[in-house]
Amino acid sequence: MGSWIVGDWPSFDPHNFSQLRPNDPSKKTPITYHPTHERTLPPPDQVISSEAKNILLRQFYQRGDEKLRPKRAAPENLAPEQESKHPRASVASSSEPHK
Amino acid sequence: MSTGRNGRSISVLTVLFVLKNPIRGDGILNLKACGDEYQAPWCRHLQAVSYRNRRTEKERVLGFGGRKMSTYNYVVTAHKPTNVTHSCVGNFTGPQELNLIIAKCTRIEIHLLTPQGLQPMLDVPIYGRIATLELFRSHGETQDLLFIATERYKFCVLQWDADAHEVITRAMGDVSDRIGRPTDNGQIGIIDPDCRLIGLHLYDGLFKVIPFDNKGQLKEAFNIRLEELQVLDIKFLYGCPKPTIVVLYQDNKDARHVKTYEVSLKDKDFVEGPWAQNNLDNGADLLIPVPPPFCGVLIIGEETIVYCSASAFKAIPIRPSITRAYGRVDADGSRYLLGDLSGLLHLLVIVHEKEKVTGLKIELLGETSIASTISYLDNAFVYIGSSFGDSQLIKLNLQPDAKGSYVEVLERYVNLGPIVDFCVVDLERQGQGQVVTCSGAYKDGSLCIVRNGIGINEQASVELQGIKGMWSLKSATDDLYDTFLVVSFISETRILAMNLEDELEETEIEGFCSQVQTLFCHDAVHNQLVQVTSSSVRLVSSVSRELRNEWHAPAGYSINVATANTTQVLLATRGGNLVYLEIGDGILVEKKHAELKYDISCLDINPIGENLTYSNLAAVGMWTDISVKIFSLPDLKPMTEEHLGGEIIPRSVLLCSFEGIPYLLCALGDGHLLNFLLNTTTGELTDRKKVSLGTQPITLRTFSSKNTTHVFAASDRPTVIYSSNKKLLYSNVNLKEVSHMCPFNSAAFPDSLAIAKEGELTIGTIDDIQKLHIRSIPLGEHARRICHQEKSRTFAICSLKYNQSSTEDSEMHFIRLLDDQTFDFISTYALDQFEYGCSILNCSFSDDSNAYYCVGTAYVMPEENEPTKGRILVFIVEDGKLQLVAEKETKGAVYSLNAFNGKLLAAINQKIQLYKWMLRDDGTRELQSECGHHGHILALYVQTHGDFIVVGDLMKSISLLIYKHEEGAIEERARDYNANWMSAVEILDDDIYLGAENNFNLFTVRKNSEGATDEERGRLEVVGEYHLGEFVNRFRNGSLVMRLPDSDVGQIPTIIFGTVNGVIGVIASLPQDQYIFMEKLQTNLRKVIKGVGGLSHEQWRSFYNEKKNAESRNFLDGDLIESFLDLGRSRMEEISKSMNVSVEEVMKRVEELTRLH
Repeated sequence: MGSWIVGDWPSFDPHNFSQLRPNDPSKKTPITYHPTHERTLPPPDQVISSEAKNILLRQFYQRGDEKLRPKRAAPENLAPEQESKHPRASVASSSEPHK
Repeated sequence: MSTGRNGRSISVLTVLFVLKNPIRGDGILNLKACGDEYQAPWCRHLQAVSYRNRRTEKERVLGFGGRKMSTYNYVVTAHKPTNVTHSCVGNFTGPQELNLIIAKCTRIEIHLLTPQGLQPMLDVPIYGRIATLELFRSHGETQDLLFIATERYKFCVLQWDADAHEVITRAMGDVSDRIGRPTDNGQIGIIDPDCRLIGLHLYDGLFKVIPFDNKGQLKEAFNIRLEELQVLDIKFLYGCPKPTIVVLYQDNKDARHVKTYEVSLKDKDFVEGPWAQNNLDNGADLLIPVPPPFCGVLIIGEETIVYCSASAFKAIPIRPSITRAYGRVDADGSRYLLGDLSGLLHLLVIVHEKEKVTGLKIELLGETSIASTISYLDNAFVYIGSSFGDSQLIKLNLQPDAKGSYVEVLERYVNLGPIVDFCVVDLERQGQGQVVTCSGAYKDGSLCIVRNGIGINEQASVELQGIKGMWSLKSATDDLYDTFLVVSFISETRILAMNLEDELEETEIEGFCSQVQTLFCHDAVHNQLVQVTSSSVRLVSSVSRELRNEWHAPAGYSINVATANTTQVLLATRGGNLVYLEIGDGILVEKKHAELKYDISCLDINPIGENLTYSNLAAVGMWTDISVKIFSLPDLKPMTEEHLGGEIIPRSVLLCSFEGIPYLLCALGDGHLLNFLLNTTTGELTDRKKVSLGTQPITLRTFSSKNTTHVFAASDRPTVIYSSNKKLLYSNVNLKEVSHMCPFNSAAFPDSLAIAKEGELTIGTIDDIQKLHIRSIPLGEHARRICHQEKSRTFAICSLKYNQSSTEDSEMHFIRLLDDQTFDFISTYALDQFEYGCSILNCSFSDDSNAYYCVGTAYVMPEENEPTKGRILVFIVEDGKLQLVAEKETKGAVYSLNAFNGKLLAAINQKIQLYKWMLRDDGTRELQSECGHHGHILALYVQTHGDFIVVGDLMKSISLLIYKHEEGAIEERARDYNANWMSAVEILDDDIYLGAENNFNLFTVRKNSEGATDEERGRLEVVGEYHLGEFVNRFRNGSLVMRLPDSDVGQIPTIIFGTVNGVIGVIASLPQDQYIFMEKLQTNLRKVIKGVGGLSHEQWRSFYNEKKNAESRNFLDGDLIESFLDLGRSRMEEISKSMNVSVEEVMKRVEELTRLH
């Protein structure tokens, strides 16, 4: 066992490591990076924070939404032409006061 | 791929012992668990202290001399972390470029894969301890982005801008929750393979989601409740229509299971996943998600490996082992490299028929360092990142070697971590400290000798007083080696040469004038030699050694200074006359003469252009107006004049080129060195920089080492000036004082230097040109304590050896004696079964001049929570053997031993105990208990000073005790009432004590002797706080650099510390005015040098633990301050302007601080 699985190693660029000289003294230590440019600050819309609402509150709201959903779902399930005929279903408008 | 997500917790197959943690100096493992039983209030009576008593205390205190305050501390890294915690491979710096990115706790390193191997590109400091490092490919991107999350709950997404060669921040944020219990098993950060979300498990019972929008932008994060409280690992599954995680967890009966959940981004909740698997291996600890076409997950246990998916379940048994790291080999996920805790590397193969998994196979490939992370690179090359040993670049060969191993180690990257203990010694007795660390763990344990500066390895030396100058000469122009060494004295010149027996003997060059001092010598073209004396320039054949031509100085104009190269001579006579000669075949031609206003102090015409034998420029240093001038050659036209300022004349000038950049170096009579960038066309001098090298005049000379030219600055503080990454660096040479140096590359002593010092001429070779030199001594076992004994010239260590060969794991503990030169084991004392070496000390006792090694031990019994028995063993070294001369049983673990008033002070569990060294009637000795002090949870670290005892407690911070001679008692004087879990303590001065604690913070406390009430006097006031971001295992007094009492930095007391990540750092107590200046500089630097990923330096350095978050105070970040020297000129000016100080002044003051380490 062994040789059939040990081997055939993947190669992305066959040149990589082809001229490796172990312990090459000319190998440099990397430069230490000290950025002074402005782009270390992320774009303003990419400063991410966590949702302030905790899980419990979020579930309350979600449950609230779920309760309302069937009422809202009803007009949606109707055929679209019906919707145009009845643009203002009184039930739907009352359940969504912010619209 | 990485699994090293937690550098702290280490599981062992057997029960967890308190003393088993390989990375903590004290061996404390499960801090939380052993602390819980000690939550009772710890109020104590504080004894009133009479004024009389306080005064006697003070009088007894020795050493620090008066009230020197060590309130203001400067913390700087001498050796960066080398513990590799994470690594990943991807196209970060370009779509076609393959990178290896590695994390060393607080730094990341970006490497490029090239035909020559791994090419380091950038070392990026991160203002946080890296908890997660992942590369990912966002939608529509051509190269990978880097996701980093830190232990303090910050994260950032970084991108490489190839055009600007900069790291830019794509996103960052804070993912902390106000309420939540941090996970015990470390933080988990994962990215959905289809880039729909980032998942984080930071607090028990919560899974945090950062969603991506369809443009790859991040959106607001939210939490989902996770029912499983003891999570071991979480990964995303591949190939799922909805993002799906698989959770490996332990239930409250300690059984382990996996479960899957779909993440519903719309509902912000989990939906039960497609499958689950109960009752896995009890040691299952690691999940490997398998990419398409197979998908599913591999569950790595200690005795089995399982493949699990919705449709298949395959398992194989394995030899018992703890797998710590894996690396995927093939893109289709059919092979994986697994690294275990004994350093064995296995290949795990998913056997399949078409796209159906039919089984698993595992094959041992060979041995590596104990891997914390494994990254398959390319063409059978693999990177092994290690926390416990050196990281490695290995190659997987197609055929096994004679030992059956497929692994070939091609490169090793030295890792000092974890530094569990260290000592500071001066083995070469040169007045310079060296650090000897107990590094590594398990089989990769080693001792590392860390030395600053460049060493000279003496080959030959001869006593010679009063050397005024030295030059080496060849016997033919195109000879490879030097033959002659010309040594000049005040009224004569002697010539030494190598004879046929390769001995240095005195010889003659007939054409030279040997009755006077030589000012300068050089090889010249056409097999000639040049000698300049105060009256003439002599041109001599190097073959016949006869005079061929002579140029005489005009009467009354003796030559003061001179210089030459192979074709040119430049000399100056009294009265500011500058004469330029050219060398022909047998002839010296006076080409030009110029009269300057003032006398000339130094000259140079070292060729730095393309022509290696001819210089177009001459540098001239002046008396009186204190300036340097650049002249063109051969016409001696003035090109530039630079006034140096001050009253100190230039003593040595040198034209030289480093990494292709021409410089002018100019050394002053007071040990300062100026350097300028030189425009070779116009002679213009720019970018003036000033550093202080010593206090005496400096002579500059070039020399070559490994085909690179460096400059040697001979002075009371000899220094090598070299260039790295186009920045000039100064490294001290480990010699006390060098008056002259010249390269002497003879056949017998190739690449050597001739050095004149303290009445002696030495020929020696020079170390590699770098700042820190590390020599590693592999032990094959884990050294946990070390100390040095000057008298016997030995080291003694406490070590343990793991034996995993048999069916049962076992370990054996030893006290070993090592020769301090060869580091060979010369004697061993085996401890009993279950007995651990906990502390070691070199000491002597009152009325006994012998030097002893004292060892404190603990019997760590599997059934005990805390050791209840230990021993103190007293050894003497006789004939290179450890002889046990006394033994004392203790009622617990002896965590610390100190020499104290000619007696032995031990910290034993909760107690501090003092032992006398008593002479028995039969002439033998014994330890006899004198007095003790109770009242600690565990007294782990003890430092003493005079009659004061400073104790670092497991969880009760620092307390101060005092030994009362008259009463023969130890009493508590004061304590810090904060609940810091200590990892090291040290005494900075009479009143100020330094502590390091479990959450990677440093702090200082002050004794308040002048307090008005007993309550105030009984309280150690916290005066300094700082987040180091490193777990300190040991503080030691001392310095890595040669400390000259008359230099500025010689006055600054320093402490060295060693950490789990392999950092060696220095804490320097600065005078207040210097501190204020540097604090201002730090504030300004924060505005200019931005934290990578938008992370804030101020927040990073703030003291932080579960109870407290406070701005850092009375500590400065030397790493940030010293990065001032890496800034461009305009940024430096910007900063110095806002500080109202010249750039040069700031640079000089910062350079001085760099000389502390």
